[in-house]
Amino acid sequence: MKLTLSGIDRSFGDVQVLFDVDLVLNPGEVHALIGENGAGKSTTMKIMSGYLAPTAGQVLLDDVPATFAGSQDAEGRGVVLIHQEFNLAEQLTVEQNVFLGHELRRGPFLDKRAMRARTQALLERLNCKVSPDARVRDISNPDKQMVEIAKALGREARVLVMDEPTAVLTEREAEVLFEQVDRLRAEGVAILFTSHKLDEVKRISDRVTVMRDGRVVAQATTAEMSEDDMATAMVGRDVSSLYPARTRPVGDEVVLAVRDLNVPGHATDVSFDLHRGEILGIAGLIGSGRTETMEGLVGLRTATGRIEMHGQQVRFDRPRAALAAGMAYLTEDRKARGLLLAKGMRENLTLQSLPDFTAFLIDERAEDRALDRAIADFDIRAPHRKVEVGNLSGGNQQKLLLAKTMLADPEIVIIDEPTRGIDIGTKQQIYAFIHALVADGKSVIVISSEMQEVIGLADRVLVMRQGRVAGELTGDGIGEDRIVRLAMGLDGMRGAA
Amino acid sequence: MKLDLHVLGPILALVVLVLVGAAMNSNFLSAANVTNVLSRSAFIGIIAVGMTFVITAGGLDLSVGSMAAFIAGLMIMVMNGLLPTMGPGWPLVGVGVGAALLAGLLAGFLNGFLVTTMRIEAFIVTLGTMGIYRSLVTWLADGGTLSLDFGMRTVIRPIYYNGILGISWPIIVFALVAIAGETIMRRGAFGRHAAAVGSNDQVARYSSVDVNRVRMLTYVFLGLLVGIATIMYVPRLGSASSSTGVLWELEAIAAVIIGGTMLKGGFGRVWGTVIGVLILSLIDNILNLTDGVSPYLNGAIQGVIIILAVILQRERKAEG
Amino acid sequence: MKHLRTTLLGAALAAGTALPAFAQETQVIGVSIPAATHGWAGGMNFHAQEAIDRLEEVYPDLDFVLATASDPSKQVNDIEDMLATRNISALVVLPFESEPLTGPVKAVSDSGAWVTVVDRGLAQEGIEDLYVAGDNSGFGRVSGEYMTEALPDGGQIVALRGIPTTIDNERVEGFEQAIEGSGIEIIDMEHGNWNRDDSFTVMQDFLSKHDQIDAVWASDDDMAVGVLAAIEAAGRDDVQFVLGGAGMKEMIARTRDGDPMIPANVTYPPAMIATAIELTAVGLTSSAPVSGTFTIGSVLVTQDNAEDYYFEDSPF
Repeated sequence: MKLTLSGIDRSFGDVQVLFDVDLVLNPGEVHALIGENGAGKSTTMKIMSGYLAPTAGQVLLDDVPATFAGSQDAEGRGVVLIHQEFNLAEQLTVEQNVFLGHELRRGPFLDKRAMRARTQALLERLNCKVSPDARVRDISNPDKQMVEIAKALGREARVLVMDEPTAVLTEREAEVLFEQVDRLRAEGVAILFTSHKLDEVKRISDRVTVMRDGRVVAQATTAEMSEDDMATAMVGRDVSSLYPARTRPVGDEVVLAVRDLNVPGHATDVSFDLHRGEILGIAGLIGSGRTETMEGLVGLRTATGRIEMHGQQVRFDRPRAALAAGMAYLTEDRKARGLLLAKGMRENLTLQSLPDFTAFLIDERAEDRALDRAIADFDIRAPHRKVEVGNLSGGNQQKLLLAKTMLADPEIVIIDEPTRGIDIGTKQQIYAFIHALVADGKSVIVISSEMQEVIGLADRVLVMRQGRVAGELTGDGIGEDRIVRLAMGLDGMRGAA
Repeated sequence: MKLDLHVLGPILALVVLVLVGAAMNSNFLSAANVTNVLSRSAFIGIIAVGMTFVITAGGLDLSVGSMAAFIAGLMIMVMNGLLPTMGPGWPLVGVGVGAALLAGLLAGFLNGFLVTTMRIEAFIVTLGTMGIYRSLVTWLADGGTLSLDFGMRTVIRPIYYNGILGISWPIIVFALVAIAGETIMRRGAFGRHAAAVGSNDQVARYSSVDVNRVRMLTYVFLGLLVGIATIMYVPRLGSASSSTGVLWELEAIAAVIIGGTMLKGGFGRVWGTVIGVLILSLIDNILNLTDGVSPYLNGAIQGVIIILAVILQRERKAEG
Repeated sequence: MKHLRTTLLGAALAAGTALPAFAQETQVIGVSIPAATHGWAGGMNFHAQEAIDRLEEVYPDLDFVLATASDPSKQVNDIEDMLATRNISALVVLPFESEPLTGPVKAVSDSGAWVTVVDRGLAQEGIEDLYVAGDNSGFGRVSGEYMTEALPDGGQIVALRGIPTTIDNERVEGFEQAIEGSGIEIIDMEHGNWNRDDSFTVMQDFLSKHDQIDAVWASDDDMAVGVLAAIEAAGRDDVQFVLGGAGMKEMIARTRDGDPMIPANVTYPPAMIATAIELTAVGLTSSAPVSGTFTIGSVLVTQDNAEDYYFEDSPF
């Protein structure tokens, strides 16, 4: 089925967010929709799939004008949107999820056998090995993604719209997904997806639409555009120098020494040093214990081992203690763990440092001043100061989270996935900010699943595998191939610093 | 900040009720009736202020009604028991008050301990303690009524019926508790932390907030307030029985929700709770003062108003 | 009625004490009553327990199972459990509500066990072997008659009702019939739910609403406590007296001591449960004729006879 957007405008109140958007999804074609956060991608997808109605313009299905009464209506006509956050009932089985709301019946009873057979067939079609009886909460992220797709296919989807399907997947997991996308394309499904990862776009899509500020600024076949072209079109300026150069050398002083840190079930005998003004990268596959190790370090998890800051042994049984000693951890999951989405920026900004703003009562004026400073220092762009944080774009949320962490003035900052799901322009700002921190004599640990990010940022890289430090790379030794080999266990070398 | 229905809703409902009451009966706005309504609101009101914090932090406490009955029984027994040695007088009242406050603190601590340290659902914990306290008071009273010694009753009576400048003590205490609660909720680090915990306890934990401590404190605070409410209650009739405080927990929860606090936690408003309590007492008062509505329907009218109040507030959510 | 009861019991007890001579197997009597949720029920629970303790000593061959229920469905469960697991030979039941309990009690009766129903009748006649009944319309009538005597020139009164039930309706009807044509007018009536706090609130509002109230029919002593506190707090002296009911011991004591506000009381003895249990025990263990209906009438208590109705140990 062919889906066409023709001259779409959309406004929220007085604010127009889409201007004259034209876009054609052809059957058997994978279309990438890219742009910075807030460029209008989400709104465009929601209009395609019936979640929102256009203010002006038309949606056409096979060249016939279509007005969707809602997302259910759109699904009924074969247009399905898969949300970035999985829309699955965690406690139900795969099969129950696939047929949720569309259960097959035989008389008054559920036709379990038929549903099971169909689920099996759908999963096989996607080459997914998950059992229909597995509970969704027990399966991996890529499998959940597959279940979402199976669910869509179960509803005879002919147009599949995917909002950042790879955001929560590792590169290897993403590759599995792309194989299935290839397969669906061959079956004649029209597919649109968004991604911040331009190499993926290059790898999988046939056609690219670039949006900026609510307008389509470039549209071409993927072959015609290089990744640089895409980035430039998205940002509207040259972004070839994503990673800033060091302005000050790494210091000699060891500010943090970790010895034999054990986090039960996640990390075993992790040891490393961190120097003043250093950026230490931590690489490894998802599940290698990177996040858990750092959570153990700052007292978010039970951990044993010896931790020294400036040669003094310290012990953190709770995050507050780590913070007081000058070490802060910035979570990878800004929506579920980082920010209170239903609260304003001020409450979020000061949550971690509230004692600093409280004598007997909270000094709200001091909070406002802190917010003013944060907005200026971190270039947070919000429609107004009272906005609920959940309504900020991912990039601005991440900047706010950084501001919140820095408000406690930590000396050592551990940043888990600093740029997950945010656009390239904001990435550049965050990298610049990390460099400003180390230039200021602070030390930073960066955990990242993005290889390029680790390589571009870190002075030194620890690679973790199965809860242990598999190896350490420095200087010119930091390379994609080396990291992958260590992370996958293909290399026997250990601790060759 | 512009005023919207979310803020205005409860106030509007209260104003409408006052106008209706005044139109129905000329005695409605008399000092005596206003004093009556405010004084009798004080028990639930004081408890509801504490409940606002518990709910804001994502918890719930079903045990407060039973807890109040139990503490009332305990307070009476302590005073009766010490009467022969201490004699009737204010020192003995002081002991009773101390016992009530201590019992409230401990009961709140027990709920908090089971919810935080033992990690049991608040609903289940407090459903359990609700039954426990209710049974205990029935047992203490041997199925009947625990009555304060008559001599002592005269001594303690002023706590409910007297006051300063014509304002009775329960009203004064209620007002003080409400003002303190509102201040802590809006401007205190504890209120902010409670809202953060109720909003998303993971975010709070990752923001170095001691989640368990905050939760625990909300229950302890509520227990203490139940103790205070009981201190106001006992002097009124000088007795406690198994029918004391029945359904107070639901009235308190209803008042909190009418006032605009979110049942699932994350946002609390103490002044709204106060309005909610007043709305509930006024409905009863007006129905008693007027003829024409079958008393069988009191519950239905309350129910309709609770639901309306919540719908009014959600309207705005949908728009915004 | 009281006399009939006493004589009967005397005879039966005499028969009972003679019984242990027969080597009988142990029989179980189930007692199912509402939990002590208000003063009267508390008294009733007390008397039930006391009767059981006493009878277990008198009749070594009898075992008693006491279950208190906080709602009708729990009472149904209790009775079903007694029948299924305790193999009861007799059931003494004070039904929470008539309709829901009729079926389960009938099942007990059909199993061949003896059934004694107390206070509240079942929805279907002829199920029970023995019916020990309180007289609710009599309770209302006696109260009304006292009211007309105490206010010979008529007057304005307010009334507090109990929890909305048949019992309450019968009492109020009896009361209204008794005061008809006497010049006494009920100017307001609300439910105080047999509860001190509720009646306090209702009475406060009555006092705000009405400038002249000559007397209050509180219809229950728990409610009278709340009513008295409200009157005292309001400092009103137009109310001449408060008529409660059911014979709570503190109230009986005040009547006995000549308190002008509590000049009388009307009994509705919670001890009727003890009577029923005793009669059942007698019925099971002897051939004394105890089946049929025993109505325990409501008696007016005044200063003259108050001493007879004061039970020191009762919690009610």
